[in-house]
Amino acid sequence: MRSRFIPGTRAAPWLACLGLLVLWQIAALALKNDSFPTAWAAIRAIPLILADKEALINILASQRRMTIGFAVAIVVSVPLGLMMGRSRAVASFFNPLLMVIYPVPKAALMPIIMLWLGVGDLSKTLVIFLGVSLPVIYHSFEGAKSVEEKMLWSGAAMGLSAAQRMVRIVLPAALPEILTGCRTGLVLALITMVTSEMIARQSGAGNILFNALDMGEYDLVFAMIIIIGAMGICLDAMFETLRARLVRWSEPQFDMPLSFS
Amino acid sequence: MNVLPSRTEAKAQPVRAPGQATAMIEIDHVSQMFQTSARQDHLALSDISLTIEDGAFVSILGPSGCGKSTLLYIVGGFVSPTQGSARMKGRAITGPGPDRGPVFQEFALFPWKTVLGNVMYGPRQQGVKAAEAEAQCRALIEMVGLKGFEDFYPKELSGGMKQRVALARTLAYHPEVLLMDEPFGALDAHTRTRLQNDLLNIWERDRKTVLFVTHSVEEAVFLSDKVVMMTRSPGRIREIIDIDLPRPRHRSELLLDPRYQKYVVDIERMFDDGPVQGSAL
Repeated sequence: MRSRFIPGTRAAPWLACLGLLVLWQIAALALKNDSFPTAWAAIRAIPLILADKEALINILASQRRMTIGFAVAIVVSVPLGLMMGRSRAVASFFNPLLMVIYPVPKAALMPIIMLWLGVGDLSKTLVIFLGVSLPVIYHSFEGAKSVEEKMLWSGAAMGLSAAQRMVRIVLPAALPEILTGCRTGLVLALITMVTSEMIARQSGAGNILFNALDMGEYDLVFAMIIIIGAMGICLDAMFETLRARLVRWSEPQFDMPLSFS
Repeated sequence: MNVLPSRTEAKAQPVRAPGQATAMIEIDHVSQMFQTSARQDHLALSDISLTIEDGAFVSILGPSGCGKSTLLYIVGGFVSPTQGSARMKGRAITGPGPDRGPVFQEFALFPWKTVLGNVMYGPRQQGVKAAEAEAQCRALIEMVGLKGFEDFYPKELSGGMKQRVALARTLAYHPEVLLMDEPFGALDAHTRTRLQNDLLNIWERDRKTVLFVTHSVEEAVFLSDKVVMMTRSPGRIREIIDIDLPRPRHRSELLLDPRYQKYVVDIERMFDDGPVQGSAL
């Protein structure tokens, strides 16, 4: 069942963007500060970045690291979280570990990881992996924990083994919760991607941004912020579309769409 | 126990189907201990012995918290008893199996599957070919009165409809025993009555063995061949009452039948009075 169409909801996020840009424009015109270009100047600088081959390669390298880090994190975290949710022993082993790691900003580990693994792709991908893992583990754990016992019993009565119940009952039953974690993970992947590139300045979208800052090319800095922001919005909208399709059977969680999808 | 006139007569003869009444399920001195959140031992079931004959409709009736559901879970193999054992057709029950099909008060449907997908789950698991399973399951869905809802997801159904799906899903893999855990407890009175009627009609077709947990006296008397009354915690068997009413049973006739009324009143009185008879009057 689809949520009722409320007039204007689809246009609302675009209007919000437009409003933000207008505010930015007015503020920049009023402040007349060199390090705060107008929205229009920043937008005009976007094609300059996207037309530059070097910049594009940098951005694509960022995307690749992010995709790999995100994908590996999902592949590792979902099974771990599900097992923690269904086994007290697994949960009591990993829980203290995760509680210690959880509040540590993953980018803060970057200097040490760089020291061990260098400034290349591996370090940055690892940081992205760590950033994505925790919310995905946590939500998979919560999802698996709240799977109705009777649902598993019903499966057991049909002859499903413990492993089959994990894959064919716990996984789909926890899927809405898992995907909520993945969505948070996706945004965190983008954040850790940019921060890792700010620390290990070798390539990537974050590198372009900071190079432009060093050069005092503020319209490029803001153009890059818009590009990174747009990347995040697009990814989130794509993911949200996928999520909505996968868990169509689930109870509606939000009446108001919280994304551009 | 002269309050229960039919009990003595019924004791002498098998509940149904004279001749070979074979034991389907035997519960042998079962006790169940739980640890409460305060780390205290709580005796949920105490020394339960019960034999359920093949093809009998047996209700376990008791106040909430008397462990009657636990007893059902032990037969289902979902819970293993602290003491004693349960057997099905002479073989010890060590875990769940498709010979014992549960129907839970919470429905426990797979929400990511459609009605048809839910009902087909068991047969597919047992290796029935998709086309064959689908044909059987569509017929079952029609039998439980849900024709036209095959492609609906559980969230789109009412409570009564969900329980019909749950029943069809369990019947689909042909268990020999149906284990029904307060299946109509979450439904409104009207839906409940309709499902009781439909359950009896479906049951009349093949008269599977049914173990039915309920706290409703009318429901137990209306449906059962035998009512097992339990005491509040620790759960013990207080009385086993044979319900000697003709089958097939029709609600409209039965409600007017003085024998039915007497069973209901007598059993209710036993609940109210405790062990002393007649003090409520």
